[in-house]
Amino acid sequence: MKRTFRFEPRLQDVEEDVRREIEAHLAERSREFEAQGMAPEAARQAAIAAFGDRGAIEAEVRAVHRQTVTARRRTLRWDELRQDVLTAVRGLVRSPLYTAVALLTLAVGIGANTATFSVLRSVVMRPLPYPDSGELVQVWTDHRARGRAEPEWLSPPQYFAIRDQVPAFSAIAGYQGWGPSLTGEGDPEALAGAAVNADFLTVLQVPPALGRGFSAADDDANAAPVVILTDGLWRRRFGGDPGVLGRTIQLSGQGWQVIGVMPASFRPPEPWQILRPIRRPVTSRCNHGCIVLRAIARLAPGATIEQASQQTAAAIARLIPESPEDNSRVGSWLVPLQDQLVGPVRPALLALAGAVAFVLLIACVNLASLTTVRAAARTREFGVRAALGAGRGRIVRQLLTETVVLALMGGGLGIAAGVVGTRVLAALIPTQILEVQAIGVDAVAVMTMVGVTLLAGLLFGLLPALQGAQPNLMGVLRTANPDDGRRAGMVRRGLVVAELALALVLLVGAGLLLRTLVNLQRTDLGFQPGQLIITNVAYPSARFPEIATVSSNLEQVLEQLRRHPAIAAAEVDDVPPLAPGGDQDVTALPDGRIPPPGVEPGGIWYRSVSPGTPRLLGMRLVAGREFGPEDRAGAGLSVIITEEAARRLWPGEDPIGRFFTSGPDPDSQRATVIGVVADVRHDGPREPLKMQAFFSVAQMPTRGTSLLILPSGDPAAAISAIREIIRDNDPQMPLGAISSFSERLQAVTALPRQFALIVGAFATSAVVLALIGVYGMMAYAVGQRRREIGVRLALGAAPAAMLRWIVAEGMWLTAVGVGLGVLVAAATTRVLSASLHGVDPLDRTTFVVLPLVLGLAALLACWIPARRARNIDPVEALRAE
Amino acid sequence: MAGSDLFTGSLDLLILKALQWGPLHGYAIGRWIRQWTDAVLIVQEGALYPALHRLEKRELLSEEWGISDTNREVKFYTLTRSGRLQLRRESARFGDYARVMTAALAAARP
Repeated sequence: MKRTFRFEPRLQDVEEDVRREIEAHLAERSREFEAQGMAPEAARQAAIAAFGDRGAIEAEVRAVHRQTVTARRRTLRWDELRQDVLTAVRGLVRSPLYTAVALLTLAVGIGANTATFSVLRSVVMRPLPYPDSGELVQVWTDHRARGRAEPEWLSPPQYFAIRDQVPAFSAIAGYQGWGPSLTGEGDPEALAGAAVNADFLTVLQVPPALGRGFSAADDDANAAPVVILTDGLWRRRFGGDPGVLGRTIQLSGQGWQVIGVMPASFRPPEPWQILRPIRRPVTSRCNHGCIVLRAIARLAPGATIEQASQQTAAAIARLIPESPEDNSRVGSWLVPLQDQLVGPVRPALLALAGAVAFVLLIACVNLASLTTVRAAARTREFGVRAALGAGRGRIVRQLLTETVVLALMGGGLGIAAGVVGTRVLAALIPTQILEVQAIGVDAVAVMTMVGVTLLAGLLFGLLPALQGAQPNLMGVLRTANPDDGRRAGMVRRGLVVAELALALVLLVGAGLLLRTLVNLQRTDLGFQPGQLIITNVAYPSARFPEIATVSSNLEQVLEQLRRHPAIAAAEVDDVPPLAPGGDQDVTALPDGRIPPPGVEPGGIWYRSVSPGTPRLLGMRLVAGREFGPEDRAGAGLSVIITEEAARRLWPGEDPIGRFFTSGPDPDSQRATVIGVVADVRHDGPREPLKMQAFFSVAQMPTRGTSLLILPSGDPAAAISAIREIIRDNDPQMPLGAISSFSERLQAVTALPRQFALIVGAFATSAVVLALIGVYGMMAYAVGQRRREIGVRLALGAAPAAMLRWIVAEGMWLTAVGVGLGVLVAAATTRVLSASLHGVDPLDRTTFVVLPLVLGLAALLACWIPARRARNIDPVEALRAE
Repeated sequence: MAGSDLFTGSLDLLILKALQWGPLHGYAIGRWIRQWTDAVLIVQEGALYPALHRLEKRELLSEEWGISDTNREVKFYTLTRSGRLQLRRESARFGDYARVMTAALAAARP
């Protein structure tokens, strides 16, 4: 390599340098004047005079020269850096295995971290997209004192009491789901929307981008119907035309005037496309007993959530005299909106973050270990370089450059992997949250990871660098001294133990999640979705004023569907399983009795189905009979209940022939139990059991229901048949999205499946990394002791004894590492408990089998290099030195 | 360079020219210029040094301490590759300039 050494003055020397140069000039000039015959003193004066203003000139020269020197020093340093980097790259290329393993290690570690922290920051840490979103709380009522574990919605009187009597809230708005069908604008479409109080957008503090928000007058029961569109709906259905303002559109057969369009940045708390004022007067029929409102409130400046909670509870308590059965022992349950939305996924994400942090840690440990091994193998090289005059600092810097170059390359790969990983992880988050929070690779996450990478590079480079730079030249040059690396050996062993322990922790976590997944898949749902296709139909009262016409039309549609060759069966169910938004509970009073004080009347889900529905859904009848022709309109109300309902309404008694009512009035309609079906886990394997009651659609007609279709062959043919028949029946009828039950079941189990998959992937990479670590250490140990082994063999030791000797040490380390891992895992798997199902965080099988598996794998990783020890030729080993 | 003050530009060019045959120290460069220009261009002899250092900064010259004929420690300047190029380019430009100016100034009435 061509290398030019140049004069490199220090900056302090510049002044002296310039002074000397000018002094030399004056001396030469005086000499010339003297040669012309002047006296020395006069010659000197003449030279100074001819020179001009020395002070000014010297100052100018100094300034210019200083710049030159600085620039040159910079170039020199840059050259040196470039040289270091080149040497580093050459060194890395020379050991491709080390480089590949190190890069892979870093890419996995950093990629996983970037992805996880991007998602974590997007979902959990970033505030919601509303101004001062920290002030927003979801308002629930607390019925735990009445034996209901879940938070409940509000009754209208509770809502008004809270609105008027809680100074800790600056504003509150109630809302309900609303699913109108849009017609008269091309294809009819079922929309998801909400009926909200006029204050709703004021609470969120997001005004419409076009038009106006709701006013208090719009909320009046007799006000003209008005709606606000979201940006998405506006662009999709109205071409983004501002002229839509003031227009009247048809929703469920009624005209609604568009008064505003929300900005594109607006994310409603639920995936709504359209908003209308709630306009609901508190009627006598549905008052205290109707728990129908959800509410979001904004804390007043300076108010705490505790104050708001106390005031809310007090406001509800004031309703007790008016309606004790609905308000006594009801508390307030306030949840910050952020927690409300991301709460369900937070534990999983935090556990995931822990897992990837472990992987990065293992990656760093492995790199440190690999680099130490490599540095030890290069002791000779460093010795030679030191002998040739490289300073200790220069060698340290060279080694550090190598590791930093490696870390940067690995970091680049890792960030690329992180971009891909973020997309994969984003698929894990329930769509409801995605609607609110856009997930992208987070700049802060990337910057943090670049920082971590550099730090890791410095850390795992520093230790071996300092070891490698030991200036013990003679010793190094003569021979590799086995005692030299004793301390280094301790460090290496410690690192391998740590790696095995961390890998085991991840392995146990993955094992527990896998068992959870198996348990979930084995859970009996109480129904078998099979090949069923599902879609919604709606009969708005504006176009079907008589409920009787609805029933007859629905019956007609079903008949047509059943006759179609592509369809094997067609039934209806207005609360089909695995569908979002199950119906609200209806009170069930067994035998029409009011429960004794202190006993919560059970809430039961009403499902209006056609007679063949239970059989089509694969539900099992355990007692009584199915629906028959006798359960017709006008006859006494028949009901089939689930085992859970039978257990809770008539504990220990035969429910067949008994009846329940929905209210205490003597004239409440009696529902007589004709059959009991096996329990149904309506929303998937992890959901708690709920009481359900099935009524015949003939006796309990409904305006909105779902069609359950079993295709006789190709589902696509069945789907087009459904579209055709519905359109021919009524071109105005909106058809909701058509989906298959198996898709829905997949969606329900997607979260645990992907979680198990990802942690499993992390665990696998951690195990592989740990085994590389064990293998590398043993291979190094054998190489280092060639001479010792050679001597022993020469002195008559049996090769098998050598093998045992090496393996024993490896196994001892493995035992310590795995043992430590078991302890750490036992202390940490509790973090996962929210994500587990049917398996204890300290599950015995998992805690016995996985350590054994890891131990055996580690034994194999020791065995391969140890076998080399047996095959060492003593003569060669001794001669090599 | 081009368009800069006539005298400054000339001085730079003369320095480069003085170094065409090999390294010289500052005083020797000044002496060469005085000899060849009848001391017309340099009023203050010291003005040479800022010019030298500016050329060095532009990497047209490189410097090195050495011993002069008179056995004194002096700083020698050498033309770099780009200095040599600059000399060739600027000589040609100055030649054109001088020829055009001379012709124009010697013009008779049209």
